[in-house]
Amino acid sequence: MSCHGTKNKSRKKVETKNTINIALAGNPNVGKSVIFNQLTGLSQTIGNWPGKTVEKMEGHLDFHGFHFNIVDLPGIYSLSTYSLEEIVSREYIVSDDVDLIINVIDATNLERNLFFTFQLLELEVPMILAINQMDLLRKRNIELNFRELVKIFKLPVLPVVAVHGTGVHKLLEKAIEIVVYQHYKFPNLTSILAFGKEVEDKVNNLTKYLLENACGSNQINYPPRFMAIKLLEGDPEIEKRIEGIEKYPNIIERINQFRHELEELHGEDINTIISSEIYNNIHSILDRVVEIRNKKHRKKYNISDVFDHLTSHSVWGYVILILVIACVYIFTFSIGGFFGELIDEVFIAWSEQIYLIFGEENIWIQIFWNGGMAGLFGAITGVLLYVIPFFFVIEILQDSGYLPRAAFLLDKFMHYIGVHGKTIIPMVLGFGCNVPACAGCRIMETQREKKISIAMTSIIPCAAVMTVVLGLVGRYLGLGWVLFLFAINFSVIILVGRILNKVMPGECTELIMEMHEYRLPNHKVIFKQTWMRTKEFIFKALPLIVVLGIILEIMLIFDLLSPLNTILAPITVIWLGLPAVTGVFLIYGILRKELTLVLLEILAFSLGLTIVDLLNPIQMITFCMVTMLYVPCFATIVVIAKQTSWKYAAQICFLEIGIALLIGGIFHFASVAIINFL
Amino acid sequence: MNTNHFIHKDHSQTAVIKRLTECKSGEEITVVSVNIGHKQKRRLANLGIVPGVKVKKKNCAPFRGPQQILVRGTCLVLGRGIASRIFVKCANECPPY
Repeated sequence: MSCHGTKNKSRKKVETKNTINIALAGNPNVGKSVIFNQLTGLSQTIGNWPGKTVEKMEGHLDFHGFHFNIVDLPGIYSLSTYSLEEIVSREYIVSDDVDLIINVIDATNLERNLFFTFQLLELEVPMILAINQMDLLRKRNIELNFRELVKIFKLPVLPVVAVHGTGVHKLLEKAIEIVVYQHYKFPNLTSILAFGKEVEDKVNNLTKYLLENACGSNQINYPPRFMAIKLLEGDPEIEKRIEGIEKYPNIIERINQFRHELEELHGEDINTIISSEIYNNIHSILDRVVEIRNKKHRKKYNISDVFDHLTSHSVWGYVILILVIACVYIFTFSIGGFFGELIDEVFIAWSEQIYLIFGEENIWIQIFWNGGMAGLFGAITGVLLYVIPFFFVIEILQDSGYLPRAAFLLDKFMHYIGVHGKTIIPMVLGFGCNVPACAGCRIMETQREKKISIAMTSIIPCAAVMTVVLGLVGRYLGLGWVLFLFAINFSVIILVGRILNKVMPGECTELIMEMHEYRLPNHKVIFKQTWMRTKEFIFKALPLIVVLGIILEIMLIFDLLSPLNTILAPITVIWLGLPAVTGVFLIYGILRKELTLVLLEILAFSLGLTIVDLLNPIQMITFCMVTMLYVPCFATIVVIAKQTSWKYAAQICFLEIGIALLIGGIFHFASVAIINFL
Repeated sequence: MNTNHFIHKDHSQTAVIKRLTECKSGEEITVVSVNIGHKQKRRLANLGIVPGVKVKKKNCAPFRGPQQILVRGTCLVLGRGIASRIFVKCANECPPY
């Protein structure tokens, strides 16, 4: 399998039916998702790669009588093992599910893009090069010699302008030609990718060795040459695979010896040698391919540069950052609040009608309307309406290229907490709603960083928590205590960040990030991305919330919650010093945090009292403190689980419950002691 | 785009080797060595930061923050710790790699 990977694949395709499987691959921000959207329109699905937490974007279309399955691979710079995305991508490309790669290349940044192309070529899967943004290049009076490019790579090379959709369908025609009619011969790699003599000799030696010894081993799909290069580079994944195979005696020693010889010879580390040689190759290719028409033409000082300068300026950058964050909030809350009130009114009107028709005492109405529908409407008005505008503005910021600037400015500050600058992006979102914020943690490269940011983001006081704190402590005890509570909350965030940094294996990685030029966001991409994210929330989180609402309502009807109060009493009454009823409220708070306050008010109202009669000042503060910290709301827990795993979500919950109880209890006993002393 | 035109004037003059963090904004420099852990070194090499490559320091965030550099036609942001372990010398004084 290993040595005949490509050939087997093409033979299989002779009887190919009507389905063509395409993988879109390329660096981040080259217009891959624009091409993906142009091709597949609305028929897309977001899922996770099996067993991995990396997002998988898949789309379908029918063209010229063929069915196309297109997978948009994550944007990456190389096929090593730096991030999970890289491993997922290379494993997927060599699997039998891919007939053809379309490598999307940014014409304005050929050098780095071609580095990835060289890596893809080593996987020996049929490939088309799609050179995007040709219009921008021509504006700079630079032309590419496509005939020369085809001659060099021996691959189809097509120009596209993704934003206008120009040339996009030509890619599919070419794909049909290659996959179905087999108008394709895989080029002899060594003629394109040859390294310098010393490296090439070693690679050839290893390749031959692998070929001779590996035939028939089904565990490895990678072509032998790719494996040889990666083994030389010391790729841990491939080494692990090869170690288990008896047919390779002493291979690791041989590789180590080769690597050592090369490093000795060049006086450099092996990755540097190989990368330098590839970049040197690219340089000689660029010399042949790039034609600068008017050498005197200088790039004009354009708007993008001015924005870039201002937004990364050491004074104005921060001013703009604060303005941008303020605008995001105002936009999200005015839109979410406006529609939320409208929908709330509609819901109340409907409820009255329903009660009139079926009667308020009807048990089914109570279960399905008060439990299920109220939960659904609550999730829509409390979460979804804020999530949609949030995703929308964040997509704009992301697509225009602003977010990396914010990460650049705040990197230093975030290092005090133990994460790097990018974490600030989801954390800022958390102040509005933790749900999109935790989903936004997907931008962190390593699993470790992602987990730490998710944990920290889930404790950020969201809008609902602020309602509780302001409505209870702010209203009855004044702003000073509110600030006290927030100070505690932020200390806990920093504490959690520090604890996780100590506990989790690995070390805090530093920022390595490409800063793209600003560009006008593409409306199609923004709307579609917003819709995809919203769709994910609607179909994955909403049903769970409704079911939970129904269960809680059933428990309430059959009075199953009072035993719970008794069970929780040791914690609520003895440890935290709260009235026993609050146990149930805190459980409801998991569904929506503001419910803790709402239920408290309802209880006080039905007893003909005010909250002041129910809770003394110490109890108020303890109650708010616990509400702030004890557990993320249910929608957030679901998102955390989707982003990482249920196990990790549970761990976060336990950690936060522990911290909340600890701090709440300490505060309760300390304040009681102080009062007694006085 | 293809900026592989090294200007070599005087090789005998000994070039001052310094850290990337010590350079001024706008300075054009050549990478001499990258003294960093294996994994990050590979990452940097894949992004084209190898000895001999010409880079231009663009900007640096305040409070000893990360560094912005122009390399191989794009702008990269590097954390302070990484940048301080990249050794460079003035571009004009260096022979081509």
